[in-house]
Amino acid sequence: MTGATPAIAVRGLRKDFGSFSAVRGISFDVAPGEIVGFLGPNGAGKTTTIKMITGLLRITSGTVAVNGLDNRRELPRVKRMLGYMSQKFSLYPLLSALENIEFFGGISGLAPRELRAAMARMEQQVAGAILRQKIQDVPPGIRQKVALFVCLLPDPAIILLDEPTSGVDPEARRAFWSEIYGLKTQGKTLLVSTHNLDEAEYCDRILIIHDGELVAAGAPDELLRQKRQASIEALFQDAIREHGQD
Amino acid sequence: MGRIKAIIVKEFFHILRDPRSLTMVFITPLVMIFILGYSVSYDLDRVDAAVIDQSQGRQSRRLAQAFAANRVFVMHGRESGGELALAEAEEMLRGRSLRAIIVIPPDFDRRLAAGRPAEVGLVIDGSDVNVANLVLQYGERILLDFNAGLLAGGGAAALPLRLDTKVFFNPEARSQFFFIPGLIAVILLMISAMLTSLSISRERETGSIALLFISPLRSREIIVGKTVPYIIVALLDGAVILLFARFWFGIPLRGSLLVLLAFALLYIVAGLSLGILISTTAPTQRTAMLATLLITMLPSFLLSGFIFPLDSLSPVLRALSYAIPATYFLRIIRGVVLKGAELRHFWFEGAMLAVLGAALLAAATRKFNRQRKAAQ
Repeated sequence: MTGATPAIAVRGLRKDFGSFSAVRGISFDVAPGEIVGFLGPNGAGKTTTIKMITGLLRITSGTVAVNGLDNRRELPRVKRMLGYMSQKFSLYPLLSALENIEFFGGISGLAPRELRAAMARMEQQVAGAILRQKIQDVPPGIRQKVALFVCLLPDPAIILLDEPTSGVDPEARRAFWSEIYGLKTQGKTLLVSTHNLDEAEYCDRILIIHDGELVAAGAPDELLRQKRQASIEALFQDAIREHGQD
Repeated sequence: MGRIKAIIVKEFFHILRDPRSLTMVFITPLVMIFILGYSVSYDLDRVDAAVIDQSQGRQSRRLAQAFAANRVFVMHGRESGGELALAEAEEMLRGRSLRAIIVIPPDFDRRLAAGRPAEVGLVIDGSDVNVANLVLQYGERILLDFNAGLLAGGGAAALPLRLDTKVFFNPEARSQFFFIPGLIAVILLMISAMLTSLSISRERETGSIALLFISPLRSREIIVGKTVPYIIVALLDGAVILLFARFWFGIPLRGSLLVLLAFALLYIVAGLSLGILISTTAPTQRTAMLATLLITMLPSFLLSGFIFPLDSLSPVLRALSYAIPATYFLRIIRGVVLKGAELRHFWFEGAMLAVLGAALLAAATRKFNRQRKAAQ
């Protein structure tokens, strides 16, 4: 952590759906240039938290500041800093990868020249024939790659990835994390939610969330040392057990 | 503009590559119009009626014969022969053995001979509004012919005939001529609303709406981008249905197609906006489809004058009918198609469609925007 303004500062964030509290007053920071893993089982509150950060979900109480800007008062400016990749990838299934890129580039305000350059970059990474198929017909790994590419089109400084590796094979997961590292070297800040605990090793810091509450936060090695655990899996189970006893 | 263009292009790709949408837009209307066009008929083969001739003159007997000579009217008298008394005929009307009584008043011949207008009473069984309307139309036509005969003979005043212009422009009183243009109006509204309601609820289901919401797009840009392609699709759809009606059912097109298209544009915008409004409350495509069917079909069938004349509705329902776009487009399409009516005949209907379309579009944009902001 540095003394600079956090890329994301979450304070007392809470989300209630009627009498059910999905997120219960959590607080954390994500420093600029950091990769933070947001770990927790399904239904723990990861997606709800990310959606509140992006402004897609109304905050019940608490605050979110992105590069120092309150995301409720300055949402249009905040949006320009954020890239978001949703859990379902959310590409248009009947459009090809290139058409999806063209569409999302178009609504992000990319100039035609920039769009063409972006599509050329994509064609360097994936065979043109695959990129011209309907996205619903291409393998999940390619869909994931295209979804990340689309998310990066407006060149956001902060990237929120919600379960980006769910449903893809281990090979594609490894390739994906390699891309994430590439983004870090470009100075991007990343908050990545996952329920795959082994992905914690790729992160500078991890946040473990359970039943809407943060139960552990810190660098993976540091946490393992502090809690005297041999693996993230054991650390995770221990944190949840402790939380349950509270 | 570039951002709107991106949405427009994307929507066209979706329309062209989704067989379900294409089937819904182009095949469903044809199937509906084919089935309903045949299954529903308002034509009457027989109207049991009686003439009460209180004048007993030459002209009144000619009029009675005119009714008797008509293929639809089956005249009834006493079993013993001779004419029924008015009270007897009214009793038969109550018992549904008569549907209409033609009452020729005592001064009928005297007034005609003096060159003054005379009145003919037509008592109709009003329990079935559709039948009553048809009986009225048939009766008016006989009176009209009779009036024409009198005028041609000279010396007669213009008889006070109430002309039903629908009959006037549809001399054979074929119900398909009334029914099919009305059906086009109902189907066009349903399809227009369905197009946008499904498009937006599909985005919600797949989660892609989140990416639109998080993008720099303004809500009105999303709505314009969502609406423009479907205006074109719905207009094409309307043209296909109209051509089918013209060449399969022989429905005439006596007015200008351009006039019809101009009003159809307003009508379609109202329908598309209604669809967007529906989609803001429908969480899934399935719900959106059911809600659209319910909200467009039911009022348009029952409260627009399509099946039941507006005058037969209760004041509350009649007031409600003014808020239904089909009420106005129905008059326009019937007028243009059957009567050859022109733009100037429909200022009120056009203005009402524009007002309704603008109100629905504003409401849809507001609700959509509120839904987007509710997250913030």
